[in-house]
Amino acid sequence: MENGASSEGKDPSTFLGEIIGAPVTVKLNSGVVYKGELQSVDGYMNIALEKSQEYVSGQLTRSYGDAFIRGNNVLYIAAV
Amino acid sequence: MEVGEYLNMASQLLPLELIDKCVGSRIWIIMKNDKEFSGTLLGFDDYVNMVLEDVTEFDYTGAQVKLPKILLNGNNVCMLIPGGEGPAGSS
Repeated sequence: MENGASSEGKDPSTFLGEIIGAPVTVKLNSGVVYKGELQSVDGYMNIALEKSQEYVSGQLTRSYGDAFIRGNNVLYIAAV
Repeated sequence: MEVGEYLNMASQLLPLELIDKCVGSRIWIIMKNDKEFSGTLLGFDDYVNMVLEDVTEFDYTGAQVKLPKILLNGNNVCMLIPGGEGPAGSS
């Protein structure tokens, strides 16, 4: 199908390719925020984060060396 | 004439074609829950997952968060308003 993918070369999969290895902020539907280094991501928006920190209502609550986030919970992935 | 053909006549603009026309311009996104986003649309896919730039996130309290570049999950998207600048612009 013709869509935004073709015209600008900035569709979701190319964006994901660009930000692998970069520091990112991931927000879940629950409002919890994870900040860390994006190790990998797939078509379901399943995410593997390194050196991740968990923020609940803006407060740092926990830290994880490695974390997997199941994609259905993800609201957005932001490059920082 | 088949139904699909009828629906795709020149006068008809498919929903995703409307979004395609918005690529490169500002867009206002209203989510299923009380969340809204505004930003420049860089791209999207068939699920309406969207890549956005210079984004403002509005939550139900009215608080705003600025984000340089995001991939927004299309799962909870409810409505897209081309040219919208978020809740402040419309009221």
